Amino acid sequence: MAEIRRLIYVPILHAQEDPRESTSLNKIKDMAKGGGGNDATAVEAMWEGIAAKIEALNLPWESVRIYQDGAPVCGNELELAMRLANSGSPNFAFILDLIEKGARLEGTEEMDLLIKEYDLLSQLLMKNPGAERKAASVEYQAKSRELLAVRDEFIFNRITDTLNKGEVALVFMGVMHRLDKLLEKDFLVSYVIYRLPFRSVGSIYNA
Amino acid sequence: MKYECKSMKILIIDDESELRELYKKLLELQSYQVFCSANGVDGILLNEQKNPDLILLDMHMPEMSGIETLRNIRKTDDSVIVVILTGYACPDTIRDAVDLNVSEYLGKPFANRDLLSVIDKAFGSCIEDGNNG
Repeated sequence: MAEIRRLIYVPILHAQEDPRESTSLNKIKDMAKGGGGNDATAVEAMWEGIAAKIEALNLPWESVRIYQDGAPVCGNELELAMRLANSGSPNFAFILDLIEKGARLEGTEEMDLLIKEYDLLSQLLMKNPGAERKAASVEYQAKSRELLAVRDEFIFNRITDTLNKGEVALVFMGVMHRLDKLLEKDFLVSYVIYRLPFRSVGSIYNA
Repeated sequence: MKYECKSMKILIIDDESELRELYKKLLELQSYQVFCSANGVDGILLNEQKNPDLILLDMHMPEMSGIETLRNIRKTDDSVIVVILTGYACPDTIRDAVDLNVSEYLGKPFANRDLLSVIDKAFGSCIEDGNNG
């Protein structure tokens, strides 16, 4: 009988200042919305709460693989994580803590798809603020949703291909991803949610 | 500008009476005006009658879920600040919460100070939003 693999899914929000991607994607997203309304403190509180909840799970860290929204498969995942943690990302600082305990960070996303997302946002920002950008935003949201579905498919395959028997996947994913829908078919999924400060952070397509 | 607690009204919609009372006492100690409802239908009516500044909304209630309750509230009130409380969270509910302009999503169990901090932040960012036009 095939063993059902265990997966812990953690929906997250990103702070504007959280440099989780090698690009300044979050900053661009915030600008696309009109800027402002961000609260790094609320996001830090979110990460403190998530950390406490994950700590309480007493996971076998040597057998845990971490999959992270926006972390490309690039061959230097750890170096990238360290750079982002050093830049002030609470998300990656927490991941480094888990790596110290024995967990392993897996490259999660296809770089080309992340670049496409960046390009979509850049095109949106080239529009003049106001009516022109508002109209372009509708088109951006539609294209971004389609792209998000493709990204989710890639991430799903990535997890399926890299998670070994007896290991636990720990997945940090933006709230508007629908990866959970794909994962529920093949994995025993449990969710860790402490707080999600929507208004403070501002919600854009995959905030 | 700091908001005045005494003038702020909070509506609690939660089917668990012990939790309702606990939140009520906690918030009244902070000088908030507090109203309570044990189900979604009464909560919708109370929102119209009392016009609260913030709603603490439990997700899992019999008859009408928290999301269904909020969908009805949003038909007539798109400005009230909403903080969702839940013991069992799932991404579908979170995505609904984003669509329905929820301010915060707080997973039970949480400490009293967490709830107060979330409310404080929710009111604070609401005022910031207003100031930013």
